Amino acid sequence: MKHEDIAQYLLKDLKRKGADDVIVQLSSSTNDIVKFSNNKISTTKDWSTTMMSVFVAKDKKIMATSLKTFTEKAAADLATRTLQGLKQLQPNNEYFGIAQGPFKYKKLREYYDPKVKDMDIEMIDLVKQSLDITKKKVKRAAGILEKNDVENYLLTSNDIEVRENGSWLYFSIRALVNQNASGHQTAVSRIKNKLNVIETAARAAEIAHLANRPRKRISGTFDVIFEPLAFANIIERIGEGASIFSVESGLSPLKEKLGMQIASPLVTIHDDGTVPNGYASTSFDAEGSPTQKNTIVKNGILKTYLHNTSTAYRYKTKSTGNAGLIAPDPHNIVMEPGTQTKDAIFSSVKNGLYITNVWYTRFQNYSTGDFSTIPRDGAFVIKNGEIKDALKDIRISENLLKVMQNVVMVGKEMRQIKSWEVETPCILPYVLVKNVQITKPE
Amino acid sequence: MDEGIAERALAYAQKLGAAYIEARLESTTSNAIVIKNGIVQLASFDYHEGLGMRFIVNKKLGFVSTNELEEKHIQEIIAKAIRITKATKDIGQNTELAKEKSHKATYKVTQKIKLADIWIPERTQLLLDAEKAVKETGVNVPARHLSYGDTDTKEYLITSEGTKILSHIPRMETHYFLTIEENNKVSQRSWSYGASGGWEQTKKWNLPKVFEEEVTTMRMNLLKGKKAPSGKMPIVCGPQVTGIMVHESCGHPYEADRILGREAAQAGESFVTKRMLGTKIASQKVTIVDDPTINNSFGFYRYDNEGVKARRKFLVKKGIITEFLHNRETAYAMGLKSNGSSRAADFDKESIVRMSNTFLLPGDYKEKELFEGVKKGIYMKNFMEWNIDDKRLNQKCTGAEAYLIENGEISTPIIAPVLEVSTLRLWPAVEAIGKNLELHAGSCGKGEPMQGIPIYLGGPSIRLQGLRIK
Repeated sequence: MKHEDIAQYLLKDLKRKGADDVIVQLSSSTNDIVKFSNNKISTTKDWSTTMMSVFVAKDKKIMATSLKTFTEKAAADLATRTLQGLKQLQPNNEYFGIAQGPFKYKKLREYYDPKVKDMDIEMIDLVKQSLDITKKKVKRAAGILEKNDVENYLLTSNDIEVRENGSWLYFSIRALVNQNASGHQTAVSRIKNKLNVIETAARAAEIAHLANRPRKRISGTFDVIFEPLAFANIIERIGEGASIFSVESGLSPLKEKLGMQIASPLVTIHDDGTVPNGYASTSFDAEGSPTQKNTIVKNGILKTYLHNTSTAYRYKTKSTGNAGLIAPDPHNIVMEPGTQTKDAIFSSVKNGLYITNVWYTRFQNYSTGDFSTIPRDGAFVIKNGEIKDALKDIRISENLLKVMQNVVMVGKEMRQIKSWEVETPCILPYVLVKNVQITKPE
Repeated sequence: MDEGIAERALAYAQKLGAAYIEARLESTTSNAIVIKNGIVQLASFDYHEGLGMRFIVNKKLGFVSTNELEEKHIQEIIAKAIRITKATKDIGQNTELAKEKSHKATYKVTQKIKLADIWIPERTQLLLDAEKAVKETGVNVPARHLSYGDTDTKEYLITSEGTKILSHIPRMETHYFLTIEENNKVSQRSWSYGASGGWEQTKKWNLPKVFEEEVTTMRMNLLKGKKAPSGKMPIVCGPQVTGIMVHESCGHPYEADRILGREAAQAGESFVTKRMLGTKIASQKVTIVDDPTINNSFGFYRYDNEGVKARRKFLVKKGIITEFLHNRETAYAMGLKSNGSSRAADFDKESIVRMSNTFLLPGDYKEKELFEGVKKGIYMKNFMEWNIDDKRLNQKCTGAEAYLIENGEISTPIIAPVLEVSTLRLWPAVEAIGKNLELHAGSCGKGEPMQGIPIYLGGPSIRLQGLRIK
């Protein structure tokens, strides 16, 4: 039997044995990585996975599991075992079901390119080309080029049966003149001809080259221009904090702030699962609801949390198409562009800083938003709009909402960011934030 | 688990020209529970099985894996992987491995109470008992996120050099995140417990007592906490703080793959260089080890994922850098032998250089003796916010439960004292070490795709001299 037939058999068997709600998701993926360091490819990785994950609810009790062997017997055994397990569980009184289909799904643009799957050897050539670029300016470079091709099939007990293929390309390159002068950039695309490896490599090398100068340690309060790669680490926390699960778990500073000004009027942030070529774009969420564009922050005002069907019921609202089965999740986090060119933003800064990347963002208190994060790679003093000294050993020690409220300029050129630390893709421009507290170690 | 799958896969890769192969066939049974604010959100159970294979062909390194174990499919993906790896001939780094002895062994972690015999209600009750303890304190804890998970993994590792290791390691862990509110002020605490072994290990955590202490002390901190004094003063760190410092500013920078630049675009590099072996980095009192062989530890193993026998490594001995963490690849690059630090988080991840259980060896002092003689100082028992730069020099620790030390005694609770210090200043500042060794569970992140791997971090309480609190 085909895997999809087994999925249908499993759903019917679970229903026959008494389940209220069932979601079966079948995904089959092939993935490849070319990893490089010190200007050489250090390894290639290829892997393939087929998964059939299963969500079952009965009498408000929820069980998640997966099927390993794709036969009717194995499916029937799994159904029996799952129903037996559910009997031992306590009810989740916060659970109010899954989406009722059928739905019409918006046709996405630029989410699947069959050419990606066949790029195997071409990936090596692309890495070689990127290293040829960086070698002109830096001593060495490291990174990865990754491609994924996935077939998804979702079937639920509530009249939903939907399929979607997806392809993903991710390029990350860190260029180093030496250990203290580096630049890092990433690029993502869902389709082959929009992955710009050469420009990304050149930009990383340019930052590293700029950083190769005497470096200063500073502390104090400064106006800071954030490169999109750096600020993605900040707005990702707004997107994740908008999940109602984060709000209820104490993992968000957005609790009880609906309708309140949480950011500068210049800040508008959407969650959008439908962006063309968006790294997390998908036409349906984990329970089969259509994805949509949700405005989380409009001109600085918090407009909505992110919901699945069950949490939406509790809050007397509609699903935002962000299931996650128990925890709604953002898709692509999109900060609306402003009107300023990058040059205009730099020209406006008389005495400030320019930070190209951060890492290790950690919170002392998620509910107040107190956190720190560490600039990594090129970070610079800006004097009268010009890049001057490079910086070392500094840290942003701040509050998330204060940073969002202090946004004073928003650029108009957008970049899509995913990185080793930015797991939820963000699409955003350059941003200028006033009065950012910078600390340094003794 | 059909061990023949790994053997046939290895033979097939050899036929296609791979000079070195290590194949890992893994099967894992897992269970998990999530409870939010007293309500069981969901339970899960799972079984997965898969094959991962690391190989060297024409001196280039490759990795391949799948969870579809039909022979035809395995042969197809191996052929594809070898073809791609061969295609790196012009730009691939030549990989050679340090020569190591082959081993044939079977080992398992003993379970007095097998995880397989534990049912959902017992797993749920473990967390609900902790919930109950919080309620009984009367402290306002409006957000409580608790999770429990266990894995029971059998791994069959073979190499083209004749190594055959069959291991069976059950592990379990719990994680909590608590939000405490008092007088419109909010404080948060998060921590984990973990072990390898049977269900009996979970009783050692004594979660109800842990939770009761966490919420009552954090409430006192909110009620009576004073602003932290700033300036140079003696700082006593509790075992959790010592543990994170050891892991982040000694364990990570001593990973040889970071030193060699292989992780530059991911977890970063290291301030440490090969030339620093034998140089002084810490006070003479400091000895830090990484030891996977500790029974029932979260980072336990007897043979690493290259089949090298595990042993205790002395990263720092009496203040001197003595050893890095190596797999066979990094050991060859530095002209050394591997010390058994190659680990993969799952069958579908390449094995890379990792920590296991990394901790500061205990000294002679009782913890309270570390306070004696301190006229004015800080006791940072635990922390929330912690981070460090990617070379592992610039670190910040913000205390959660913390107190003023006055005239040799713990006095007033203080709010969020900050220690922001360079690694080069931190370890020389250790002037006294307690004997209250504690080992704490964590999941250490490294690699791309990300691999979270079970580890212990730890140490006893220590007293630091000459550093500044912000």
